[in-house]
Amino acid sequence: MTSLRLRGGRVFDPVNRVDGDRRDIGVRDGRIVALDPREPVDQAIDAAGCIVMAGGIDLHSHIGGGKMTLARMLMPEDHRAGIAPAPPSGNPLALASCGHCVPGTAATGFRYAEMGYTAAFEPAMVATNARQAHMEMGDIPILDHGAYVVLGNDEIFLEMLSKGAEPQRLRDYVGWMVHATKAFGVKVVNPAGISAFKFNQRKLDVDERHVHWQVTPRRVIHALARAVHELGLAHPLHIHCSNLGVPGNVASTLATIDALEGLPAHLTHVQFHAYGAEGPRKFSSAALQLAEAVNARPHLSIDVGQVLFGQTVTASADTMRQHANAGFASPRKWIGADIECDAGCGVVPFRYREQSYVNALQWSIGLEIFLQVNDPWRVVLTTDHPNGAPFTSYPHLMRLLMDKPFRDEQLAKLHPDVAAQSALKDMARELSLYEIAIMTRAAPARLLGLADRGHLGAGAAADIAVYREEGDAEAMFARPAWVLKDGVPVVRDGRVVATPAGGTHFAQTAFDEGIEQVIATHTDRPLGLAPRHAVIGHDELCRCCNPGGRLLPAECLARSV
Amino acid sequence: MPAWTCPFCSLLCDGFALVDAAPPHLTGSDCPRAHAALASHAEAAPAVRARVDGQAATPEAALAAAAGRLAGWRQPLFGGLGTDIAGARALARLAGRVGAICDHADGEAQMHGLRALQDRGQYQATFGEVRKRADLIVCVGTTAVERHPEFFRRVGVGEPGSPCEGVVFLAAPVPGRFPPAVPAQSVPGTGDLFADLQQLAALVQGRRAGAMDPGLAALAQRLRASRYAVLVWEAGALPAHGALAVEAIARIVGTLNLTTRAASVPLGGGDGAASVNLVVTWLTGLPLRTRAGEAGLDHEPLRCGASRLLADRAVDGVLWIASFDPARVPPETDLPCIVLGPPAMAQRLKADDLFIAVATPGLGAGGHLVRTDGIVIVPLERVRDDGLPGVAEVLQALDARLAAAGAHA
Repeated sequence: MTSLRLRGGRVFDPVNRVDGDRRDIGVRDGRIVALDPREPVDQAIDAAGCIVMAGGIDLHSHIGGGKMTLARMLMPEDHRAGIAPAPPSGNPLALASCGHCVPGTAATGFRYAEMGYTAAFEPAMVATNARQAHMEMGDIPILDHGAYVVLGNDEIFLEMLSKGAEPQRLRDYVGWMVHATKAFGVKVVNPAGISAFKFNQRKLDVDERHVHWQVTPRRVIHALARAVHELGLAHPLHIHCSNLGVPGNVASTLATIDALEGLPAHLTHVQFHAYGAEGPRKFSSAALQLAEAVNARPHLSIDVGQVLFGQTVTASADTMRQHANAGFASPRKWIGADIECDAGCGVVPFRYREQSYVNALQWSIGLEIFLQVNDPWRVVLTTDHPNGAPFTSYPHLMRLLMDKPFRDEQLAKLHPDVAAQSALKDMARELSLYEIAIMTRAAPARLLGLADRGHLGAGAAADIAVYREEGDAEAMFARPAWVLKDGVPVVRDGRVVATPAGGTHFAQTAFDEGIEQVIATHTDRPLGLAPRHAVIGHDELCRCCNPGGRLLPAECLARSV
Repeated sequence: MPAWTCPFCSLLCDGFALVDAAPPHLTGSDCPRAHAALASHAEAAPAVRARVDGQAATPEAALAAAAGRLAGWRQPLFGGLGTDIAGARALARLAGRVGAICDHADGEAQMHGLRALQDRGQYQATFGEVRKRADLIVCVGTTAVERHPEFFRRVGVGEPGSPCEGVVFLAAPVPGRFPPAVPAQSVPGTGDLFADLQQLAALVQGRRAGAMDPGLAALAQRLRASRYAVLVWEAGALPAHGALAVEAIARIVGTLNLTTRAASVPLGGGDGAASVNLVVTWLTGLPLRTRAGEAGLDHEPLRCGASRLLADRAVDGVLWIASFDPARVPPETDLPCIVLGPPAMAQRLKADDLFIAVATPGLGAGGHLVRTDGIVIVPLERVRDDGLPGVAEVLQALDARLAAAGAHA
């Protein structure tokens, strides 16, 4: 038994409605416990002058899988400092690993832990690439991880839908795919659009038909949202809407919300989907429209996908939109792939510029959404790493949200038309530490159904971040004084001091096993493999995710619509 | 008859079975490459498990000696790199610890694809897409089947329901091993693959400049008219400066994708090349031919080539890993070598090579490899117990010894 006490910090724990009270946190054997103040402990940490929060949870960050390693291969310049090699970390615990917007997996774990984050979820695991995604996430030290499998462009699903398969059959299929790939959730990316691009369709609106399968995105969205709901997955369908990046696409986003017919869903990186087509440049903010739609529907949650300026690389399964945007690649190169009658992959390097009207407006739209959605429990802080910006810019983003004068200062540096017209300049809201704790810990844990994460109540896993309190939120969140993972100190004064293996979250679905026969009638190679290899078993998952990392299965309780 | 995944080329065929005889042999395929590879692994009980200074040694003694050698080298080269994903994970960590440069035995060919990718990118398809969609397949500078004998079967060419209306071999003959019912044609070109691809790229763009080769002009027409064209290329079949050819292929595919659909499919990356490159890239952020030195990670696709390093004597010791092919011995060098290979390799080595026998993934060990089309990771089955450790175990043991001795890069 090991025990530890964090003494005298100001605690921000929204799940337990603790808002900055000074109190001790007790830890025993990796869990938070109510310790008698007189009880001796193995380690006491003085947290006076510090704020204490649960470890950060990123519910949408591209941290592992084929597209990220393609991005790494495409961007060797991301791993240099000018013409010199990127300097080593100097930490003997660190495997040599580097990169700014697409760091190696070893560096990814370090960078997240160094900000006080203890879990991250890969939101776009292509089913046929699931083993690689689990392997890469397993090679990220410290962080717990899980992945959402991408469905809704797989030909089997589209064919079943086009032939009028019963909702129960579709549910069994989705349940089997989650089981086979050891996914934690389900994501749909440009519903039916990735497949349509393989048939040379260049655009697919929510009510437009796929040229071959004749289904519409509306039907795909509803069928998947229903299947995910009925299966009882903790996280509702995670939706990357149609027409990403297209001026006026807020109409598609609102149509997507409409297609849900009241079913719960999480709309991801909505900044990229909240564009109007007003004004002289036919490109405008529709943040208010989007925020109002979210505010009015308690079954919806979002993450923002904030854009921040500088070099990054965009990586998405959305080949239709990535192909359309490839002309903007900077540097001018990109990778695309049509994958195994399953999904796709597009990797486009991108440099967001302050003096670009479009990029500046994207920056503004993201912040407008953060500040106009009323309920912080339904809006999660993300940059859609690395698509809007690398995750390492989170502390900067937190300061933008918490500090109106700082925000105004940044706004003034942007393209003059945006600086002059952005609705942002009239938004006085400054997020509190309590609200930041919701958006970065409590809300993602709740939206993922992780009952023992994201809070500091007795029984919770002792994933804890301690920041030295200071006026500059960016500096504060960039360098925690302490980070504990399952009760073990992993960071001290911003430096990694231990690298335990993270655990793998995955969902255990119930489904009629007869679905395997149905799949066999559609293809002799499920997930591109001989049938005996289609399912990743628990033993294999352990091997993929590395020894030492725990399996964290989540039970699913079937629901009806 | 156990179902089997063949590890001996990057198609990773998993639809055939193995007859568990001595030596084991394949049923369901006449793939000459698989049959030859199985024959080369005929010895079930290894004669030699480890050798140090020309003498048989216990595995423990060999590990101790190997760790001592590694610790003493100022600039090690990790070559061969014939291992699976587990081996690659261990290799990346050990390389980081000792500051090794890693290059695969097929590194020269591998860099054709990688350098073109770094400069321009690509648009690629996987086997399942080719099988379902490709109405025209163009094999550029390769018959495909010479080194990947089951290729056309894997992409369904000649099968009922296949959309493939024809296969063109550009700068290569129509191979004997080809489904007879499918129209096949060779376009010999001018004899200069680079010039032919430039011309084809111009023709596909609708440009004309001077006298055009009629075969190439007709091919460009077919490409533009196809619904989903697939251009197959093979790194190992390309001449020197092959990256220029890969880049031209990417350009042709990119042009076609403006109006119709097209993609490329690479063949190669066998013997662990693609898998090791993949793992090293995801772990460290940079691909093979990178040095983990005091100044940081330094990726140099030309300077860090094994043959150049050996010729320049820029390295002072070689850790050679080749767990798939007993004939894949280290290059000629008088530098000290540590060799991890199948038992049958022992007799082919120099007397002073330090040798540790390892299991072959897909025979004596399970494992994972990535298929040539780069997305699907295929599990390998263990089909016999030869009592040998995997590459990962040996490298982890070496890493633990070096860590205990306090070595880090």
